[in-house]
Amino acid sequence: MKKVRKTKSLVMPRRMYLFVLPALTLFLVFWIFPVLQLFYYSITNFNGINYNTYKFVGMNNYIRLLKEGTLLNSIENTLKYTFIIVLLCNLLGLLLAMLLNLKIKGKTFFRTAAYIPALFSAIVIGYIWSYVYMPENGMIASLVNLFGMDSSKLNILGNFKTALFGISIVDVWKNVGTTMIIYLAGLQTVDDSLLEAGRIDGCSEWGIIRRIKIPLISATITINVVLTVISGLKAFDYSFIMTNGGPGKSTNTLMYTIYKIAFTDQMMGKASAFSVVSFIVIILITIAMLVVLNKKEVEL
Amino acid sequence: MSKKISRGIIYLFLICYVVTSVSPLIIVLSSSFRSVGNMKSPLMLFNEFKLESYLRAFTNMNYPGELLNSVLTTGGSVLVVVIIASMASYPISRIKSKLSRFLYYFFIAGLVIPAQMVIVPIAQTFGRLNIPNTRFTPMIMFITCSLPFSTFLFAGFIKSVPVEVEESAFLDGAGLLKRFSIMVFPLLKPATVSVIITQGLWIWNDYFFPMVFVSKSSQYSLPVGMIQFLGDRENPAQWNVLFAACILCVLPLILLFAFLQKQFINGIAAGAVKG
Repeated sequence: MKKVRKTKSLVMPRRMYLFVLPALTLFLVFWIFPVLQLFYYSITNFNGINYNTYKFVGMNNYIRLLKEGTLLNSIENTLKYTFIIVLLCNLLGLLLAMLLNLKIKGKTFFRTAAYIPALFSAIVIGYIWSYVYMPENGMIASLVNLFGMDSSKLNILGNFKTALFGISIVDVWKNVGTTMIIYLAGLQTVDDSLLEAGRIDGCSEWGIIRRIKIPLISATITINVVLTVISGLKAFDYSFIMTNGGPGKSTNTLMYTIYKIAFTDQMMGKASAFSVVSFIVIILITIAMLVVLNKKEVEL
Repeated sequence: MSKKISRGIIYLFLICYVVTSVSPLIIVLSSSFRSVGNMKSPLMLFNEFKLESYLRAFTNMNYPGELLNSVLTTGGSVLVVVIIASMASYPISRIKSKLSRFLYYFFIAGLVIPAQMVIVPIAQTFGRLNIPNTRFTPMIMFITCSLPFSTFLFAGFIKSVPVEVEESAFLDGAGLLKRFSIMVFPLLKPATVSVIITQGLWIWNDYFFPMVFVSKSSQYSLPVGMIQFLGDRENPAQWNVLFAACILCVLPLILLFAFLQKQFINGIAAGAVKG
């Protein structure tokens, strides 16, 4: 069969490749080519405005980024952020999906309520949560006051230690619904007869979850973990809208720092060097993740 | 543990979750109906029903104009993405060769590259190609950035369309374009719905590309219009107006979701599970 396909096919001729051209042109001109340009700008002091006056500065941009500590700080923040959203989105999403896959009343209502936040623009969510976290009159502060406790020291986004956690929770709040829907779709492919067989063999409810359901939806787990890791590495919105990277540098993620260096500081060369490093970090993490997850899936 | 108790725990958990999920939204809704500067504790729900905040938000943000811009850019981008991504995935999944495998992975690689990263060289590419900053400029980036996911999804679905269908059409003399548009594309409906929902949702909500590439405020889309309220956040008296603006901004999607709930859920599930 394979050999037949390899010979020249009349039904699927090679001029079929013309169909790729519109997409490929856009992709190359507006994405791949710009990515390659980053490498070139990263060794210049280009400021984004004067096209003719920039000079080559060698590895200076990279060295400065390392010395200032911006690079390592942003990588650390991004990894923490990613870890929090991957862990919470998937645990909560899976738990919700398991519960909402049972025969219970009001399933549709619960599913809809959990999914609603996923519909909103990040900018709107940023405003809503700025209010939730606002010291003194914000939602959390008001609730704390209502229970007669002291809220004056409660400033989640203004505190070095809690700000990053604060904005990653917002991301979790928004995305749990989507994760849950994907898990629900995965759980619905699990054949009831297998669960029945497990029960007859005397498996406890927990045993059924651990030995039958989880292994059968391992592909769905992989998809959800990959999707949340990718969105964590791209974290930008809530640092931009809610904290401006602060306090200090505590919520500077990779993407936010690139934006800040490029547009606030107007140092395109430096921003490009930062992008190149981010690019390498993201590629390495993606490859590592795919290798680990593929292995796991086979084992299960 | 008896069944009744475990049911109880399940409900308790679900209700707790829904409360955390929805309570910020309820408070935003209730505050948006207050008059400007009504600073009573926001936890006193719906203690006033006035449209003053809405009126002010409506005029401050040029709502009809922004809504139109959002509809035009989202609709246009999604339409183009569906056409060119489904076309691109046709040869990628039909021809078995090294080139098609390469193209497949080449497109997928785009999934992990964040757009913020390449914004500087992209701005320059626009400059070099003399592309002016109008409301339609972000569409170029929306379409391009949607290609990896959409192509990937369409390619997965085309594989499930039997080749035999096309072979018989070939014998009847149908050309490639005809075979694709009349036979293959209609069979890809679940993938098309999934692309429209997932990419449409992202494009509708995105503020980043329009923020960078649209210069005139009359050409802003809804989310960019919302950025203009950033200053209001510092001024507590304006919170009610800001909240009214938030509600106005999400209203079109909420309405659409209410009517097409099933398609939304299925679209997202199909996109992830097939992909």
